[in-house]
Amino acid sequence: MILHYKCPGCGSDMSFDAESGALSCQSCGRHENIENYPEELKSLRFSEDEANEYHCENCGAVLITDTETAATHCSFCGAGVVIADRLSGNLAPSKVIPFMISKEQATTAFQKWCRKGLLTPKGFMNGDRIKSMTGLYVPFWLYDLNSKVQVNATGTKVRTYTQGDYIYTETKYYDVFRDINLDYVKIPVDASEKMNDGLMDKLEPYPYDQLKDFKTPYLAGYLAEKYNYSHEELLPRAKDKISDYIESYIQSTLTGYHSIRIRDKQIDTKNQKSDYVLLPVWLVSYDYNHSNYIFAMNGQTGKVVGKPPISKGKVASWFSGIAVGTFFALKCVSYFMGGGF
Amino acid sequence: MSVSHFRKQSLLFLLTVLLLSLPFGFPQTAKAQEFDRMHYIYDDAHLLTSEEAVELQTLAADLGGQRETSFIILTLNGTDGKDIVQYVEDYYDDNAPGYDQPHGNTAILAIDMQERDIYLAGFKKAEQYLNDGRLDVIREEITPALSDGQYFQAFSQFLNISYEYMGQEPTSDSGGYTDYGSSGGYVGQNSYETGSDAENIFFQWWFQLISSLVVAGFVVTIMANRSGGRVTVNGQTYMDRNKSRVLSKYDNFTHQTVTRQRKPQNNSSSGGGGGITGGGHSHSGSRGKF
Ligand SMILES: [Zn+2]
Ligand SMILES: [Zn+2]
Repeated sequence: MILHYKCPGCGSDMSFDAESGALSCQSCGRHENIENYPEELKSLRFSEDEANEYHCENCGAVLITDTETAATHCSFCGAGVVIADRLSGNLAPSKVIPFMISKEQATTAFQKWCRKGLLTPKGFMNGDRIKSMTGLYVPFWLYDLNSKVQVNATGTKVRTYTQGDYIYTETKYYDVFRDINLDYVKIPVDASEKMNDGLMDKLEPYPYDQLKDFKTPYLAGYLAEKYNYSHEELLPRAKDKISDYIESYIQSTLTGYHSIRIRDKQIDTKNQKSDYVLLPVWLVSYDYNHSNYIFAMNGQTGKVVGKPPISKGKVASWFSGIAVGTFFALKCVSYFMGGGF
Repeated sequence: MSVSHFRKQSLLFLLTVLLLSLPFGFPQTAKAQEFDRMHYIYDDAHLLTSEEAVELQTLAADLGGQRETSFIILTLNGTDGKDIVQYVEDYYDDNAPGYDQPHGNTAILAIDMQERDIYLAGFKKAEQYLNDGRLDVIREEITPALSDGQYFQAFSQFLNISYEYMGQEPTSDSGGYTDYGSSGGYVGQNSYETGSDAENIFFQWWFQLISSLVVAGFVVTIMANRSGGRVTVNGQTYMDRNKSRVLSKYDNFTHQTVTRQRKPQNNSSSGGGGGITGGGHSHSGSRGKF
């Protein structure tokens, strides 16, 4: 693993000069002191003979692993993969959450999950049709976002009272202003093309206290998908993820009014920091009724997500059970309210 | 294991049904069983001859049957130290009158000879159809006869006017009573078209059925959506609590508006409208002296 320093002046790589203890740029001749070199221009790159890149000829997935691990099959489609490249010079992840759950534990946990399905067909619930179980490091960008929010609103407080023969309704209007600073840290956005975004969102949360500085040996025995999107490309999705959080935070500061009408709202969200990390996911390929189902399991927490098949019979029996139960309940309530049975 | 799951499921279903049907097994309270719900005239103050009592009983049964309402007349010599309103409320709670069920549609006329109090109350459907305004009209209509000692006439007037009102939806007409005459000649709307509590949609079987289907559809959809896992993070998960806060704020009062609205018309001078009984039954009412 090599640390790379980008020149703040021209953007080319700077090299470390051991004699002067400073960084110098070959192309523009700039010198930088290593102590006050800006953090965001530093990057970790794979060195030579450290990692390999594989291509799946079937689905186009790009996978990476360390040179010690021989990848033969694609994690996504199961087809054969071919070695494409040594990964030297490529951007390496800065952090990784290692797998906590072994393959055996993952298999057991998945079978247990299958049994819990209330609407899944009986044949599926046995959990004995696992075709493959692949540990995959999924590339994520973890964003630290700062939002500056300014809200102008009109709030009303309503009071009614009686005087003489009249009922009075008094409405007080308030000019309301809030200046809010919000920091959201390590918002995960998957940088994988192959993984379904909705599925990945459901796998959260990941235990961030398990984040380790990335070292190539963490890849041993596992495959990692190569990131397909840069942090600039995914920033809109990160902002979108926190937009609901921001809205509900704003609402939580506007309490005590009968009604609130927002006149003006400024939200300025800036990316403070984005880290390329690998998060552990078990991919379960499951064969049921001649169709292939893919499930994903959080490699740290064991949470399983994915669309299992739905049994029409079970849906029907639950539906009729609940409908009959509710109907009886309503009948009872109406009986006790005096409406007859 | 699939068998055990299936058993668990059907057991759950059976339990639900059992639980829901339990209330039907409860015996009615002993007191309510002693009370004869087909008997409408209680002449404890002995104001009626036995022929008159029989005639009123027949009329109450006939008119009440058409309106699916118990029209009850109580004549009292003292109210056990209670206020007459309290007495009527307790009477309804304890005896559970009603046309086709305990605590059902009931209109009560109570007079107390000691205090010379009169109180009219409507419960359930009669609470709506014989609202405070309508009961005031009835009370004012029959008070002269009561003051004269014409009890039979007053009671049959009560039965007839109540019957008429129970056949007209209480819209905005509360004051608009046309004189129906004091004899037993009621006009022939011979059946009440829509059955009891037609106005309350909640009691309609089709409404209950549709609600049940909607609820079931909703629950099953949620179950199906959740089968694939669900999002378990929220704004709190990623927020940096040390840095996230309101930096500055103000809430400045700007102006106010006041609108006024005339109070809904109160009952006539004697007051004492409806209320809620100790047993939780709400009712309309009208009280006065005679
Ligand atoms: Zn340079
Ligand atoms: Zn593939």
